[in-house]
Amino acid sequence: MKLDIVHDLQSVYRKIVDASARPGQLADLTKDACFVKEEGNHDCPASILLLALTLFDQEITFKVISEKEENITKTINQLTYAKPVETEDADYILILQDAEVGALNNAIEIAKPGTLKNPHSSATIIVEVSEVSDEPSLRLKGPGIQAIEFAHVETNEKWVESRQMKNIEYPLGIEMMFVDHQAQLLSLPRTTQITENRVIV
Amino acid sequence: MNTAYNFAFFDEGSKREIRRATLKAIAIPGYQVPFASREMPIGRGWGTGGLQLTLSLIGKNDVLKVIDQGSDESVNAVNIKKLVSDTTGVETTEETHDATLIQSRHRIPEVPLTKDQILILQVPIPEPLRYYEPSESETKKLHAEKEYSGAWLMLFEQIMKYGSMTTGADHPVLVHERYVMAPSPIPRFDNPKMDESEALILLGAGREKKVYAVPPYTKVVSLDFEDFPFEPESFEDKECRLCGSTGVFLDELVDEATDETVYQCNDTSYCLEKLNAVGVK
Repeated sequence: MKLDIVHDLQSVYRKIVDASARPGQLADLTKDACFVKEEGNHDCPASILLLALTLFDQEITFKVISEKEENITKTINQLTYAKPVETEDADYILILQDAEVGALNNAIEIAKPGTLKNPHSSATIIVEVSEVSDEPSLRLKGPGIQAIEFAHVETNEKWVESRQMKNIEYPLGIEMMFVDHQAQLLSLPRTTQITENRVIV
Repeated sequence: MNTAYNFAFFDEGSKREIRRATLKAIAIPGYQVPFASREMPIGRGWGTGGLQLTLSLIGKNDVLKVIDQGSDESVNAVNIKKLVSDTTGVETTEETHDATLIQSRHRIPEVPLTKDQILILQVPIPEPLRYYEPSESETKKLHAEKEYSGAWLMLFEQIMKYGSMTTGADHPVLVHERYVMAPSPIPRFDNPKMDESEALILLGAGREKKVYAVPPYTKVVSLDFEDFPFEPESFEDKECRLCGSTGVFLDELVDEATDETVYQCNDTSYCLEKLNAVGVK
């Protein structure tokens, strides 16, 4: 089946709304990502492309960080008309799994955090990881969470601390979304407080 | 369904723009995110902000309820409901618990909202500081600096003049301990329903081109003073003349035949539901 840009992208958007309004609750984009996969843009992971199709157009800027940056940038630009720019100017930063270690921390550091007058003109970082789940490695607190939520992000990057530093001066900050190979999405708005659960031996 | 229009009236580009603004609004509770506010087939100031949010959210499987000051049947509510259902074909309802999207003007329904619902409030003046600061760039600066003494001063002046806070509706609230926000002109009675709400609340102001949000389980505190605590309207010792409900927001009416003051549920679908459950008195 082909991706229906009206109805399928609406359903993806609603899942992102739910996931962002209730951080820790994963959104399942499997069905919609399958449609994208069938259309074949093999360099760009289906779930990342799906998010781009849902949110990007000529009004926004983006940066892809990946070994296949050139191809993926071209695909996204051709499909959405969004403008590729450098990381510090990008509205959306897409970090793929083949990006070198440290790329995520670097992107968090230089991504635009908005201004006190316009905290909404800040970056959203979308990261491809091998797995996100509700295993209790990260404890989440904040708006959208009744008491505590748990999440797990399988990645080599140590991003929790740098995200915390970036978001320290609320309302300035960045939004993050993690998508895994099974098209599960974890959304972490700047208001979510994360502490790492450490196993004490 | 009118297929001469796009699904949900808007072109996809317009929806995307509203959607991006909405996601930022959810990420910064209480902060007013500017958006383009497209032309609508109803006049600005008649619910276009709420309508644009509804149209950007709605999908084929949604069930829509629209209320205007508690009523499902007033002109504004009926027209908005017709526009949305004509351009989407979605089912509409009057039952609060059956709805997945509830667009409302100036009330939060009596029936507690659930996590599967989104409440969309229409907002005429989204800027709580506008009464004493006419300049938009100045109010943006005040929000940036968290300089809200004017908002408290406004309430203080009311107490000095009238002996109590006289905000009939739209009593300002502090969201997530950061932004002072206009909760839209809901009665004070509804303000506590925003605090730690189970449902996501989105607010849209079409004429003023702003959207903002209160995510679920977010702290929302009505502004008040230690010696003058916030008080919702009280309907103690009063009950609805139709269904007998107490502890709900009641309209005060005058029975013209007897000149007596009578009270009636403001939320018409809640009242009907009660009547259907117990049988007419």
